[in-house]
Parts: sequence; structure tokens; C-alpha cells
Amino acid sequence: MSRTAPGVAILVALALVPLAVRDRYFLSVFTLANLYAAIAASWDLLSGYTGRENFGHAVFIGTGAYTAALLNTRLHLSPVLGIAAGGGAVVALAILVGVPTLRLRGPYFALATLAVAGIMERLALLLWPLTGGEDGVYGVQPLSLSAPTTYYTTLAFMAIVVLGLYWATRSEWGMVLRAIRANEEACEASGLNVTVYKMGALVLSALPAGLAGGLYAHVQEHVGPAVYSAALSVTVIIMTVIGGIGTIYGAAAGGFLLTALGEVLRGFGPYRLLLFSAILLPVILFWPRGVVVQLAGRLRRG
Amino acid sequence: MVDVLILGAINSAVYAMLALGFTLIFGVGRVVNLAHGSFYAMGVYIAYTLVVVLGLPLIVGTTAAVLAVAGIGLAMDRVLIRPLRHSVLAVLIITVVFALFVEQVIFAFYGYTSRNIPSFTTNTLTVLGVTVAGQRAIAFAAGVIALSLVWLLVYRTRFGSAILAVSQDREAATYLGIDVDHVSRTVMVLSAALAAMAGVLVAPVLVVSPQMWVLPLIKSFAVVILGGLGSIPGSLLASVLLGYSETAVSRFVSSTLTELIPLVLILVTLLVRPSGLLGRRIEL
Repeated sequence: MSRTAPGVAILVALALVPLAVRDRYFLSVFTLANLYAAIAASWDLLSGYTGRENFGHAVFIGTGAYTAALLNTRLHLSPVLGIAAGGGAVVALAILVGVPTLRLRGPYFALATLAVAGIMERLALLLWPLTGGEDGVYGVQPLSLSAPTTYYTTLAFMAIVVLGLYWATRSEWGMVLRAIRANEEACEASGLNVTVYKMGALVLSALPAGLAGGLYAHVQEHVGPAVYSAALSVTVIIMTVIGGIGTIYGAAAGGFLLTALGEVLRGFGPYRLLLFSAILLPVILFWPRGVVVQLAGRLRRG
Repeated sequence: MVDVLILGAINSAVYAMLALGFTLIFGVGRVVNLAHGSFYAMGVYIAYTLVVVLGLPLIVGTTAAVLAVAGIGLAMDRVLIRPLRHSVLAVLIITVVFALFVEQVIFAFYGYTSRNIPSFTTNTLTVLGVTVAGQRAIAFAAGVIALSLVWLLVYRTRFGSAILAVSQDREAATYLGIDVDHVSRTVMVLSAALAAMAGVLVAPVLVVSPQMWVLPLIKSFAVVILGGLGSIPGSLLASVLLGYSETAVSRFVSSTLTELIPLVLILVTLLVRPSGLLGRRIEL
């Protein structure tokens, strides 16, 4: 079986979903799943490939979401412009965050990114005249009034992000990222500008998260401080680790499947994260490469 | 000026209680415990439950709360951390999930409204012309006693030598016949108890809410980064620096800016001297 065939088959199947599912609610679940798939894949690029586990990915999601929501509600910018502006803001923020933190690794990097997310969440609450504080921003224009159009927009976005990131990690550039994860000093010694590669990975990881945040704001028609929460950052990490870290496609599949599962478990409300971690424990212990990756490997071998 | 000297000393003692456990756990097991702030929060809420809801005497309730949190620390080491110790990422995830879980449980019982914990004393006392709330004075005294005891344990006993040996080289310590798991377990219990104690001592003068684990975690982190991850003298020195800079800023500039100080300290230390004031660089 070729490498691309399963990916194409899955995309075709996902494109057929609105034809099979007429129910608006289920379609909105799949819309959300598309966004989480893109977010998990984007987390994987930095964290799975350079070995810097980002515990504050919500910083980028939240900034994209708030930028798009505020530009739309205050300045009546169109969703496309607002989401694009959110992407720009996130790139700038990623560079700002990256300069002091990217030299760190392991728990140092994790704690530093967790701290940055903490600052942003606090700012979202402190700047309440602008952000609406605890309530957040209401009345964001919907992406589209038709549920299938919204679904297809997010599906196209997800496909571009996942395929783009997958291609990037397969390129020579992606190989350098893996080399940095394995031995940063050796990369530096062989004359590579490690900082530029790491910064590139951070920006390329942040941008899709920011755009997904903007789309999320227009899909949900509301943004609250939860988009900056540690719970969101951790959810993304768990999705990736369950799907398969360091593979992009495993992360995307994990994001998609766990979002769908999360909706099934809606009744558990805040305990969803706990259930995710209950799934996570055996995965880390028995399938450290990730469930989706392990299954894909088994299928390939036949 | 004098009030800054006195209040700063009190804050420093509390931060030292929080940070010492955090740095000990890291030194011994290379475990970054993101649930460290939850020990503090659990101490406060268990004490609240025992004293205010169930009506136990204050000293009984708070002591029981500290012991209960020590027990939770022991269980956490057994069930969550030890099986996952081989993976830094897994430990980070599981401890932060635990912290969020504790927040949810507290929320389920008490909601987000802040609670008041009774003080040990409502008296005030005057030190060098400065009026200090009795509760703060008690927190300072208890903190200094607890820290001295931990210092004696680490630097003056055989078990303390074992802790230091495991921190320096886990494998070599195993070859010397040190029960590494026992050392890690004990340090976890000690660290949980210290954080819970800090919680019950300062809770009466603080806002108590389910999210109260976040700031202590960030402050512990700031202290151990500034002092050097794993260094005990470093974290004591850094606690004093953080305690005094926060007190000075809130006294002379603005009290809303104090929350940013630990974050600025973290950032500056990481940029200028990533190994911290008294730390050695630890590769992970």
C-alpha cells in the first residue's frame, strides 16, 4: 500500500460526511474535530520533532481566537480578514515567546510555556473592558449560516495544515528538526544555525494554531478565557500522545478521534480531561508510540 | 522602610516552604511536579472542611489537613509518578492533569466563590514600630521552624546524606545500597506536607479559591529557577529575593504588579543565567 493512499481515502471519507450526516449537531462535532486535528498536528511539529514539549499551546489558539473575535465584533472586519490578522498576531507572539524560551528544553521549556499561558489567561481577565473578562466576547459573526459550508471550510483548513506539516517534516528541513531533538550540540557543531530552525518550527507550529483559534471563534460565535486555559493546552498534548507523537498524522488522528469521543462523553463535563488521561495512562505504558501509529504500522505490514 | 523588612521576611519564609519541596522532588527524582501548588490548595480546603464545615478545633483540623495531604503525596508517588518516571513528558502531563482534577473536585464541592479560613489569632503585635497581624507572625515562626528542621534533616542526618546522594547521582546511590525509591517517596511526602503547611498558615490572609494552585506553582518555579533547580541553599536565597522584591514593589509601586514579578524573575534568569544563582546545569 502506498504512503498516500490511506490519507486520500480518509480525506474522501471525511468529504462525504455531510452527505451521510444531515444532523446539524453531529456536523458541528465533526467541524470541531477538524479544528482539533489541525491544532494537535501543529503542536506535534514543535514538540514532537524538536523535543520541546509546549505546555502553553493555548497561547496561540487563544490569541488567534481573541484577535479574530475582537476585530469582528469591534471593528466589523470580515471573518477572513480577522482570522488572517489573528494569524499575523500569533506569528509575532511566537517570535516574542521563542526568543527567551527556545534555548530551554525538557521541563524548563514546559514550565516556561505554562507560565506564558498563565500570563495570557490573566491578561484576558484583567483587560476585561476589552475582552469581556470571564464572559468573553459574544456575538461573533458565524463563519457561514450553512453547517455543511462551515464543515467543508474547516475540513479544507485541516487538510492543508496536516498535509503541509507532514510534507514539511518529510523534507530536509524536517530531518534537521529530528536531528536537533536527537543531539542539539552535534547539529550546532556541524555548522547548522539551530536557533533559526527552532524558531521556524515554533512559528510554523503557532500559525495553524492561531488560525484554528480564529476559525473556532467564528464557528462557536463566542470566545472566553478558556481558550487560554492550561486544560486546553493539556488536552492537545494528550490527543497527540494518544494518537502518536512525532508523526503529524498520528497527532491529527488523535485530535479528531478524541474530539468526537469527547462529544460522546459530554455528560461528564469537566471530567472529560480526566477520562482522556485515563486513556492516556495505558497508552504511555503499553503503546508509547501512540495508538493510531501502532495500528497504522500493523495495517501496513498486513 | 522597616515594614518592608518585616513583611518581606514573612513572605520569604512562606515562599521557601513552597519552593523547598519542589526543588527537593526535582533533585531526587528529576520530577517536575506540576501538582505542587495543588498540595497547597488541598491543605487549605481540607482544613476548611474540617474546621469550618465539620467544626473541629482549628489546631486539630489544620494538623489533620497537613497529614492528609502528606498521605495524598505518598499515594501520588506510588500510583502516578513512579510508573511513569522514565518519561519526563508523561510525568509533566499526569501531574498537571492531577492539578486540574483537584481544581475540579474543589469546584464541585465549594464552587468558585472564595472562602474564609479562620485565623489562629486575631491579635496583632508590634515589631520595631510596625504592626503585624498575629497570623503572619505565626506563619513566619512556623515556617522558620519547619525550614530549620528540614535543613537539619538534609545536612545533619544519615537519611539527609542519602537524599543528597540520590540527587547527585541516582545510579551511583543505588550501587551504594541506598533505597532510592524509599528516598523519593519520603521526599514527596515531605514536600506535600510543607506545601500544605504553607497553605494553612497563610490562607487566613489570602483569597481562597479552587484556582489557588496556579500562583504558588509559578512562584515555586520562579524560586527554583532563580536559585538553581535542585539546589537547597539556592532556593532559600531565591525565596528571600522573591519575598523582598514582591513586598517592596507592592509597597512602593503597585500591588497589582506583584503577580508579574515571579514571571519577570523567571524570564530574566533564563536569559542571563539559566543554571540559576547557585545551581549547576542539569541536563535532562
